[in-house]
Amino acid sequence: MFKISPVWRRRLIVIGSIVVVLAAVLGITAWYKFFRVVPEEPFANAEERFKYGSLDGENTAGLPYWIWVAMPRVCSKYLPGPGGYRSLGIPWEEGHEMPVGFTKRIIGFPRVANNCASCHTASYRTKAGETPVYVAAGPNHTTNIQGFLRFVTTCAKDDSFNPDTLLAEIEQHTHLDLIDRLAFRYLIIPRTKKALTDRDGQLGWMNRQGIPDWGPGRDDPMNLTKYFMTGMPWDSTVGSADFPSTWDLDIREGMSLNWGGETPSPRSVIIDSALGLQADPKTVEQHAAWIQDFLRSKRPPKYPFPIDAGLSAKGEAVYKKECAYCHALGSGSRVGTVIDVSEVGTDANRLNTWTAEAARIANQTVAKLGITRKDMVKTNGYQSVPLDGLWLRAPYLHNGSVPDLREMLEPQEKRTKLFWNGYDVYDPVGVGFDTQSAEAQRTGFRFDTSLKGNGNQGHLYGTKLSAGDKQALLEYMKTL
Amino acid sequence: MIVAFATWFRTTTKMRLVCVLLVIFLVVAGICLVLRFTSNSPVSYDNPQDRFKYGSTGGEIDSGIPYSVWKALPELFPEYLPGKGYASLGFLYEEGKDLPIGVSMRRVQGVDRVFFNCAICHAGSYRKAPSDPPQYVVGMPSNTVDLRGFYEFLFNAAKSEKFNPGLILAEIKRQGIHEDLLNRTILRYYAIFAMQNSLVGRSDRLSFIMSEPEFGPGRIDTFNPAKALLNFRMCKAPDSEKIGVADFPSIWNQRQREGMQLHWDGNNTSVDERNRSAAFGTGAYPPTLDRDYLHWVEGWLLDAKPPKYSYSIDQGRAARGAQIYATLCAECHGKNGQEFHTGEAKLGTVTPIEYIGTDRSRLDSYTYDLAANQNLIYTGYGEERFSHFRKTYGYANMPLDGIWLRAPYLHNGSVANMRELLEPAAKRVKVFYRGNDVYDPVNLGFVYNVPDQGDRKFFRYDTIVPGNGNRGHEGWAYGTDLIPADKDALIEYLKTF
Repeated sequence: MFKISPVWRRRLIVIGSIVVVLAAVLGITAWYKFFRVVPEEPFANAEERFKYGSLDGENTAGLPYWIWVAMPRVCSKYLPGPGGYRSLGIPWEEGHEMPVGFTKRIIGFPRVANNCASCHTASYRTKAGETPVYVAAGPNHTTNIQGFLRFVTTCAKDDSFNPDTLLAEIEQHTHLDLIDRLAFRYLIIPRTKKALTDRDGQLGWMNRQGIPDWGPGRDDPMNLTKYFMTGMPWDSTVGSADFPSTWDLDIREGMSLNWGGETPSPRSVIIDSALGLQADPKTVEQHAAWIQDFLRSKRPPKYPFPIDAGLSAKGEAVYKKECAYCHALGSGSRVGTVIDVSEVGTDANRLNTWTAEAARIANQTVAKLGITRKDMVKTNGYQSVPLDGLWLRAPYLHNGSVPDLREMLEPQEKRTKLFWNGYDVYDPVGVGFDTQSAEAQRTGFRFDTSLKGNGNQGHLYGTKLSAGDKQALLEYMKTL
Repeated sequence: MIVAFATWFRTTTKMRLVCVLLVIFLVVAGICLVLRFTSNSPVSYDNPQDRFKYGSTGGEIDSGIPYSVWKALPELFPEYLPGKGYASLGFLYEEGKDLPIGVSMRRVQGVDRVFFNCAICHAGSYRKAPSDPPQYVVGMPSNTVDLRGFYEFLFNAAKSEKFNPGLILAEIKRQGIHEDLLNRTILRYYAIFAMQNSLVGRSDRLSFIMSEPEFGPGRIDTFNPAKALLNFRMCKAPDSEKIGVADFPSIWNQRQREGMQLHWDGNNTSVDERNRSAAFGTGAYPPTLDRDYLHWVEGWLLDAKPPKYSYSIDQGRAARGAQIYATLCAECHGKNGQEFHTGEAKLGTVTPIEYIGTDRSRLDSYTYDLAANQNLIYTGYGEERFSHFRKTYGYANMPLDGIWLRAPYLHNGSVANMRELLEPAAKRVKVFYRGNDVYDPVNLGFVYNVPDQGDRKFFRYDTIVPGNGNRGHEGWAYGTDLIPADKDALIEYLKTF
């Protein structure tokens, strides 16, 4: 050991202290600017939390808020029309900072992620000149999730996604301090660009030639689960499926969920769906608990047009005779069980996206995350679902291939082969949304039932009823 | 330390002295430059009227035009103006003032810059005869300013080959306007090019507004510019939302308006938010808005009053008119011109378009999607974030304070005067002239049937043009079925507002 003179010792202490203080300042600044987790403000009620509450996915999947704000303005050319994110059919309440299903959390800086409400909030209007009503837990039939995913990844790859352009847009609307500006320029913008470009690669399977677009109100749920949870190679299956309603979860306890009945409990579906939204595995079970609590007692809204009580009473008798065996609650009913695809006869593509192998690996993956939930299975049919809030669940069948209830009571030859979905003005005559008017065609998505996965065949129950019985049944179904 | 320095100083050579002086010079120069380039100070006014007419909202910071360039442009580009100078666009010049009403000045980064304030759209003029001097009234809707004409002038100039530092600086020198060496250098090598780029960029975003039918004086499209700000993909928009032309409103008596549905379609109930929204029109963005000034304006407007009617009023006839007003008009327009208040019957609420029947372009130009996107305007500034915008489905019932100065009438200024408004649409004039500030006390409005005066051509308003429709606000409930004597009485009474 060599001796240090007292003078040098003093100097070293001074220098050391300065270094320590500087490091501390730097460390605290870095923590504050990039890692500080600000707890969410409490929500007014459970429904607000369902619409805007965080699933702790912002850290891994979050878009920096200011980039999220600037993207529709900088990359407007990649949106289908005017209106920013609204042009993708995303519900956005007047006065509310975030669209429904979009969460905002500060983790160092504000970040945006998605929650269940982005696919499970329905929108309807009783006429065109009216503000939409948003129904939490209802099936979203307006949001083009695929369009949103493609928009953010395409924008990220565009030349305009660069620090100069983005910062010019951002700083027109807010003041950034020097550290934030440097962080955006050299860290946040380049890293976001890379993350989104990588995500584009992961989603490449849905952008392949010959794979039909989902359109609004649908995704490919089991392929999403399969490719993200199991790492299995891309196959050629197509499993476009309508977003389901998620209200009345109390009556669904013990039933199989997902269109194919692959998941045997509501809790499992919530957990797996939240994980798909990049929720933090450490807290996902807590989040699943409050979400399930809300959905257990969330009821569907009443039909917003008048109902002919007499006709409906007549229709109830038809319903009991023709439909109740599979769709009504109560003992002896097959509701909530899987009906073999050979029996129901609907498009089998969605069913075929899921395999026993996928179920096995997905269950292992979830178990490895330390999460306990009922395991997924492989089935060979589609679930006969309860029909609560049926009027708001158009278009119908698991793939949304039948535009309204009137057509559900017609054989395939009489069902519309080409319609436009995603327009939210309700049509009380067909009992479904307007899918043919000029405005529906202008704003909606061209749904072609001849494309793979879009078949409108099967479920021919009630198609042979007399015209009078059909009319009565239709009236009754408005009351469900 | 001091000892060491003293030792060093004693042994210094001339070179070292020079070095020290140089260091001192550089430090001082550096401080001067920093002060200069961080400078941001508006020209301020003590007199409230002047403060409203010439004070700064902060719009110059982002959108400002260097004062010297502002002065040079009309001389360099007379071909893009209807006549001599900005006055030919209807800008109002008070005697002895260098800048017109509604144009403010601020020194930013050492350069004097000018841009608009509230008064550009909310100050007007009237006179009793063509030969009289104009009376300027703050808070009244501008009846002469052609704001789109101004932007067309700027954009055309920016796209011209003549828009270059050499010509502009030569013109500045010719006019004897002083810019120091540093500013001249900045203008020559940076600022003029930057201004050109920014104007060309802005004209791209605003191009869909520029392809709407002419607005003429006293009108602007209020909400399509918000879509441009958000860079909506307007080429994919339906035609129904592309025309949003509207008359400038009066802005007196804001205290009594708090809580009413504001804007022509009643899309916002917050006076505060409405003002920040309007401030975009003066070039002020969230980071640059001069909040002190805007708060002062807000406060001042709370109780700002319209001027009294400047001709005589037949009190007997007006008293009879008051009864007609109470029966037909008060339910929607308030008790009278002074005592109206929020919550009074249908005042300040929206009448559905199916009922009022006026031109629906302005209504349809404001979309639900825009309202939703406005939720992000002023985000990052806490409570200032917009949260009161709502899509409506009709037009709002306005208080009628100072109504005599608010002609032409209806939201699109399609009805020349009050007498015409009391006629059914079929009898209203189909073509008239706007922009004349000579008052017409017989009809309660401005002279509307004179195409030009001296070297000034007025704007030919054609009610057939999309967005200009003069139908609606007619029928028994709207007073168009009254007998002529009752109409006269009602008009007489409205003069007292």
